[in-house]
Amino acid sequence: MIRNSLRAIIGIGCLLAGVSFAHAQEIKIGAVLPITGKESKIGGAYKQATELAIKEVNDAGGLDLGGQKRKINLILLDDTSDGAKSAQLVEQLCAQEKVDAVIGGYGSQLVQAQSVVPERYGIPYISGGAGARGIYGRSKWVFGTLSPVDVLSQTQMDFLSSLVAAGKLRKPLKIALITENTEHGKDYVQGIHDYLKAHPGTFSIAVEESFELYAPDFKPLLTRVQNAKADLFMADAHLEDFISMQRTYTQMGLTHQMLTYGARGSDAAARKALGPATDYIFASGWWSDLLPYPQVKAFNAKWKTATGAEPQWYHATAYETVRVLLTAIRKAGSVKPDAVRSALASVELKDSILPGGVLKFTSTGQAVLPFVVTQNKPGDKVDIVWPREAKTGDPVAPIPR
Amino acid sequence: MTLRIHSRRDTAIAVAALLVLLAAPKIFPRGVVNDLWSVAFAIVLAASWNILGGFAGQVSIGYSAFLGIGAYTTALLSLKGISPWLTLPLAAFLGAAFSVLIGLPTFRLRGPYFTIATIGVSEAVRVLASGVSFTGGSSGLRMPADSYDFVSNYVAIVLLAAAAVGISWVIRGSSLGQALAAVRQDIDAAEAVGIDSTRVKLRAHAISAAMVSIAGGLFAMNFQYIAPGSVFDFRLSLSIVLMPIVGGVGTIAGPILGAIIFSYMQIKLLSSPALRDSYLFIYGGLLMLIMIFEPKGLVGLWMRLRRSVRRAPAAEIAA
Amino acid sequence: MSSLLPVLVNSLLAAGLYATMAYGLAMIYGVMRIINLAHAGVMMLGAYATFTLFTRFHMDPFLSLLVVVPLFYFLGVLVYRAIVRRLPRASAGPSMESLLLLFGLWLVLQNLAYFIWTGETQSILTGYTMKSIEVLGVRVGLPLVFVFAASAASLLFLNLFLRRTYAGRAIRAVTQNRDAAWLSGIDAERVSAAAFGIGTAFAGAAGTLMSTMYAFTPDFGRSFLLKAFCIIVLGGMESFTGVAAGALVLALLENAVSAWTPIPTTFQDAISFTLLVLALVLFPKGLPGLAAGLSRKVTAR
Repeated sequence: MIRNSLRAIIGIGCLLAGVSFAHAQEIKIGAVLPITGKESKIGGAYKQATELAIKEVNDAGGLDLGGQKRKINLILLDDTSDGAKSAQLVEQLCAQEKVDAVIGGYGSQLVQAQSVVPERYGIPYISGGAGARGIYGRSKWVFGTLSPVDVLSQTQMDFLSSLVAAGKLRKPLKIALITENTEHGKDYVQGIHDYLKAHPGTFSIAVEESFELYAPDFKPLLTRVQNAKADLFMADAHLEDFISMQRTYTQMGLTHQMLTYGARGSDAAARKALGPATDYIFASGWWSDLLPYPQVKAFNAKWKTATGAEPQWYHATAYETVRVLLTAIRKAGSVKPDAVRSALASVELKDSILPGGVLKFTSTGQAVLPFVVTQNKPGDKVDIVWPREAKTGDPVAPIPR
Repeated sequence: MTLRIHSRRDTAIAVAALLVLLAAPKIFPRGVVNDLWSVAFAIVLAASWNILGGFAGQVSIGYSAFLGIGAYTTALLSLKGISPWLTLPLAAFLGAAFSVLIGLPTFRLRGPYFTIATIGVSEAVRVLASGVSFTGGSSGLRMPADSYDFVSNYVAIVLLAAAAVGISWVIRGSSLGQALAAVRQDIDAAEAVGIDSTRVKLRAHAISAAMVSIAGGLFAMNFQYIAPGSVFDFRLSLSIVLMPIVGGVGTIAGPILGAIIFSYMQIKLLSSPALRDSYLFIYGGLLMLIMIFEPKGLVGLWMRLRRSVRRAPAAEIAA
Repeated sequence: MSSLLPVLVNSLLAAGLYATMAYGLAMIYGVMRIINLAHAGVMMLGAYATFTLFTRFHMDPFLSLLVVVPLFYFLGVLVYRAIVRRLPRASAGPSMESLLLLFGLWLVLQNLAYFIWTGETQSILTGYTMKSIEVLGVRVGLPLVFVFAASAASLLFLNLFLRRTYAGRAIRAVTQNRDAAWLSGIDAERVSAAAFGIGTAFAGAAGTLMSTMYAFTPDFGRSFLLKAFCIIVLGGMESFTGVAAGALVLALLENAVSAWTPIPTTFQDAISFTLLVLALVLFPKGLPGLAAGLSRKVTAR
């Protein structure tokens, strides 16, 4: 009988050792996202995409590290869209959970708050959710897959210039520039100012205003726009404000030769809320499901099968962020922070689903990739109209009345 | 054992607790010390607010303004090259000055009118801070990278928490405290016996605002990044009010208890996936239960239990 | 000035929307001196209820008022009887306890909304959402005109109700002096329950009306709540015509500042909050008090 209990003890001991061994062999990745609160909509989408990307690798047996497959343990926390909480949770992941890497959140303010933490612990941090330049270049541990927002607005200006060159728009063109009072909005404005300085003569700014998020009444602001009699309307806004503003815009009977809300316009939710009032709006995004790369088509199919819905840009960027992190870890051959960090600094994801097809980070840790410009067409159609190589349709300019 | 300090033994316990807290960076892992930082920070806010809100009964839901003033003073001056520690006294002064500025017109108001006015002021400050460019606008400010020193910051916040509790204890036993209590109970009667209610309120407001502003400066030094959305937030103002009320408004131990529970809830709820989705539900539900069943907070609950325990033997005899 | 008419028309219509948001808050505050922070949550629920009726049963939002108003009245009375009434009433005046209780309720409602509808941004698009008509030469959106009509109708209804019905006069009595009302034989508790119900119904209706104009998430309502405070302070917290006047003053100020000064729109909110504080300090009885004071000065000559 003693022998039996001895066997049991040894057996349980082995089991426990095996379990803890297996756990010790796991790759621990932490993520802090706004799953509830102001940013919950896209935060939730990031959660979905992150979990999918990790599940994919785990289902295939795990991440191949130096010949051995290791499972990934994702520890995902909700910062309720609060900056201080967000930073504290990242601290918690680094200090207590001792994760091997941290996936950052969504939203420039939240990521800003988070990004001061990785330096203290020397743990690699990668965010797919913030394009503000001010976040990067301060710590060698901080990486970001979203390109800067000022490049977004400059890309839009390139596109508009091409329309002038093609004779579709006639210069001089006055711009009404309306942006949300956030870092995103400010970078957008900066990009346009920089472009105007570098390419004088064609465009000028007729009115420039910023607004607070979730404003109840855009009438006063749009009345100022109306009085400015501009040719082009360029705005940068969150989804709710975009819907509100575009509704008021349409009801006021405002028209401009071209119309954009920065990255908004082609979202399914916007179409649902505005109907034909979204037609001909052009938008610049970090990604579009219409990109004519085979890897994008494959991703679209995979996403549709897994979730039953079409992927939006934020799903793609979140997914790709995880993918580049895991690729770097695999390249490093270990989870040692320094190795992973150098791997991230030098990685080149050549089958990236992001525009340009290649994902790599610049010396500041931020990826600077081309943006796509899409234009909504009647009948719920969307076309990529810029860059020319990725075009799926011709731009319509000026907007028909 | 009551929740007051009136014996040497109680004082010794309090001092011992303080020493343990100060030694925490050497004893506990960093994660725990981070949590203790949050608790100490919460204690400063709760105990400071309690001086005006609890002792004098003037409920202000605008204390995030002082936190923001302190944080921005420290951040702006540090970016100009001044050592962050030197900015703290100025932060305290500016916070106190601002409290007088808004106190002069608003202390004429009573009860909820005063409360609503404080909401208005704090929101106006937030909007201004995000609109003006020298405060960095809505993108906020980042502290100079070499200003980060966690252990010193931690020690400072613990000492500040002890100071806040100590100062409120001293005030309560002083003539100022008596004047505040009189104002809370019946402001007209207080005036009738010669208390200048406005001056008394302004003093309490200034003392508590100064401490909250210092805490704001330490916040900036600890998190290294501040933005109007995080330091001038209305929800933050509400939680500053919540903590002393949950713990027991007007008492000394109440704010401490409330701060501990509040911080603990924040930390634990957010890291548990099961509870995460119900975070608001638990928070709101707890608040509702406390308001309905024991508005005097946990201290009140404790007092009630003690009274009923004391009464029980008598009841047995009667039965 | 050529832009005077647009400013007036836009302000008037915006005032209709603002007043709608404020009636419910004013009713509850007036009768029970309770600052209802859950007002934002109820407006949000009203919007979501309308959304559900629209998507499931294809009910037009304005028609759904017929469902929302009685439903929310009933819920309001329920909440009052089950929860609010249990608050120990330490003083005759308003209490922190009620404020925090209702804040807790707001959080619970938000979580409820997240559970049922998720955090996705929702909106209602009807055949008339994007249409506009010309009012005195100014192009305005049709939904806003309907909201204005609903708001004006509410004001009329409220005034008739408060003046001509027993229940209405009982409410006014309790608003003016609760103890005296008890002495006159009015059951102040029943009146309070009814007032809470009416306040909730108005908040729900406001949510319904706003759902025709805005996109919403469970976080909806917060930015409107603070404006509503400003309005009820201006309105003197005792009269609904005052609330309407307060809404008009606020809307006029916002539109006038935008039309005739170069002040950036980002500071618009700061203006309304400053107005709130000024109003509280300078004329705490609101505009009606100011008007009464002025008329006294005039008649005294």
